[in-house]
Amino acid sequence: MCLALPMRITALADDGTATLALEGLEQRASLALLPEASVGDYVLVHAGYALSVLTEDEAEETLTLLAELGEAAAAEEEEAGGRR
Amino acid sequence: MTDHARLRGDRVLLGHGSGGRLYRDLVAEVFVAAFANPVLERLDDAATLVSPGRLAVTTDSHVVQPLRYPGGDIGRLSVAGTVNDLATAAARPLALAAAFIIEEGFALDELRDICRSMQATADESGVAVVTGDTKVVERGACDGVFITTTGVGEVVVDHELGPAAVREGDHVVLSGGVGNHAVAILAARGEFDLKTDVVSDCAPLWGMVEGVIAALGGRSAGSPDGRVAEGSADRAASGDAPPGGGPPDVGPPATTALRFLRDPTRGGLTTVLAELAEGAGLGVEIVEDAVPIAPGVRAVCDLLGYDPFALANEGKMLFVVAPEASERVVAALHAHPYGRDAAVIGAVTTAHPGRVALRTPFGTRRVLDMPAGELLPRIC
Amino acid sequence: MAGADDAARVVDALARELAAAAASRPPATFMEVCGTHTMAIARYGLRELLPDGVELVSGPGCPVCVTAHRDLDHIIALARLPEVTLATFGDLVRVPASRSSLAAERAAGADVRVVYSPRDAVELAAAEPERQVVFAGIGFETTAPTVAAAVLEARQRDLSNFSVLSLHKTMPPPLRALLELGETPLQGFILPGHVSVVTGLDCYGFLADEYGVGGVITGFAAHDVLRALLRLVRMEAPAIEIEYTRAVRPEGNLVAQRVLAQVFEPGDADWRGLGVIPGSGLRFADEFAAFDAARRFAVDPGEALEPAGCRCGEVLRGVLDPSECALFGARCTPEDPVGACMVSSEGACAARYRYRGFDD
Repeated sequence: MCLALPMRITALADDGTATLALEGLEQRASLALLPEASVGDYVLVHAGYALSVLTEDEAEETLTLLAELGEAAAAEEEEAGGRR
Repeated sequence: MTDHARLRGDRVLLGHGSGGRLYRDLVAEVFVAAFANPVLERLDDAATLVSPGRLAVTTDSHVVQPLRYPGGDIGRLSVAGTVNDLATAAARPLALAAAFIIEEGFALDELRDICRSMQATADESGVAVVTGDTKVVERGACDGVFITTTGVGEVVVDHELGPAAVREGDHVVLSGGVGNHAVAILAARGEFDLKTDVVSDCAPLWGMVEGVIAALGGRSAGSPDGRVAEGSADRAASGDAPPGGGPPDVGPPATTALRFLRDPTRGGLTTVLAELAEGAGLGVEIVEDAVPIAPGVRAVCDLLGYDPFALANEGKMLFVVAPEASERVVAALHAHPYGRDAAVIGAVTTAHPGRVALRTPFGTRRVLDMPAGELLPRIC
Repeated sequence: MAGADDAARVVDALARELAAAAASRPPATFMEVCGTHTMAIARYGLRELLPDGVELVSGPGCPVCVTAHRDLDHIIALARLPEVTLATFGDLVRVPASRSSLAAERAAGADVRVVYSPRDAVELAAAEPERQVVFAGIGFETTAPTVAAAVLEARQRDLSNFSVLSLHKTMPPPLRALLELGETPLQGFILPGHVSVVTGLDCYGFLADEYGVGGVITGFAAHDVLRALLRLVRMEAPAIEIEYTRAVRPEGNLVAQRVLAQVFEPGDADWRGLGVIPGSGLRFADEFAAFDAARRFAVDPGEALEPAGCRCGEVLRGVLDPSECALFGARCTPEDPVGACMVSSEGACAARYRYRGFDD
């Protein structure tokens, strides 16, 4: 019950809807449940309604995670090196 | 050919289908005008052809809505679909027959546009519409126009293509990205309020397939028997036949490297793969990331919950080839405008015979089953 | 910009971390309770990446699959009314009811339209004033607010030909019901990411406080699920945490909660395979009775067929393996499913059926 797609708001209309875009796909969704959203926001869209403003996208999160994991691995290695 | 235009008005009438004067006028001024060729112009009830060897015949009905969509129209689709079916039998298209069922009131100009599109697509494949039929039905009895095309072709390879020819280790090659046609149609139908820049891939693929066969040392138009040994493939492709029929006993002809061809139309890639696995009694493993998908297609699929592998394509060909030939096949595809994104997407295996597995980017596996039927969007 | 390789590296690293964390702890079973999580886990083959000692079971998280026969029969009875245009999400079209399905009804002449959004159903009503548009309202807290918002729009546009059959269900009550049954060997929950976008995390507090079971709210990428499992395995004291911080706020979406509470109120709901769970459904508040299709149309759905021998309830609770159900693969298959676990293409039973013949 949770199929939702992150899309960027490219325009706001007077009727409470917004135009959203992703990879050449353009869709209209209602902002009735997310009235504070603005142009440029990256939002989660479910069944034609925006539900949440995303603070970062999945791709960014992957990069953050990679960095964290890299640090963790480096720290482990250091520890292992220290023990030798 | 008539001296002057006799068709009156701008719409198809029931009378145009009734076989008399009006009917002859319609045929002359719309169909013959568009498909001009000596065989058709005889207006015989049957066209006769010279049969060169093994023949392939196929037929397809086209009922697409809307009739015109980004990247194509029902006319292009009706020719490309039949040319492509012939191509799966490695058959060069020789002749097409086209039967039209037209709704009373259909605009003549639109009918002319459709025929022009058919002719342009047929021209691309070096084939002509040599005979046809027209019926007109009452308003509401059909959706504008239905077109059935039947094609006859000459098989240009000497071995049997099909699942039985497939061997363990064979490579699965796809000529390009999946899902474009289905997504373009979906957007054009306007059932969901979305816009996309994806266009249909609708295209006649005989030229592309011919290029692959030639790269494997096979016959192309006008060249002699393609039975040449490995290594002489390049010479054969350039038209030079080896003297005396080639060196003896150096292994099977290169064209037998081609085992199986299918175009993934309705039912998508998944259906073709399932038919391949079932028919061959072998397993097929596909590498998910290797299957080309345009980002625009992926976006629409993610929005509506569609599986891109289950979507229809109208300008793609799947090849199963011997592993040592797959590089050559991919190169031949890349050299053709319709095959630029071609890639090896998987292989045939003895594991899980009759079933298809997908290797995910994480190295895990999941089963790929035939899609249930009607494509439905999900929220779940 | 992260590419597919980066995603694969992250998943690989997380899988190794999970294995390390699980190795030094007793074996644990976790339950995911969102149909979209079930699909994601299957899509990425995540079970293959789980180490020994970490087991994942599928709970009652698919709102379509847990719709009871009598409710499906009600939808079909409405679709059969000549004046009704039945608007539905695609998910419902093929689900078998007692004697039919929406697909079968459409073939028999019923006016069934598939929509992507409840707003599309409202537009239908506005465009075709001579038709009675009935929307089949299924879904959890992710979807119910969108239906509520659509009802508000219909009221604002003064549409007298729009109504909804509310079969919406809420997520926390079945979790409580599962744990009350006692026989579910669970150490934690993977909690639904998008339901939680609306609800926030307070509604899950009872899991930790009353039952000592933790939960992690997570998203739908492979790394999301693995990170949630890592947190669950490492969890010392049971708590509710958010891993999906990029989308979920602790308080949830307050506007959506308000809209939901304005149009709907809690009621009982019948869950396919689990029976009636009190307070787990959403029914129309009296103020919106005019939009309630159950009140607007008097129909007789006929007797609901509850196939004998269906043991979905036990499978959903994780206490029965699909292969132990007598109907599995015989009377109950993906093409002709009996219970919820087979209706969902990735439900416990459907998935098991499809993976037969594969070594792992």
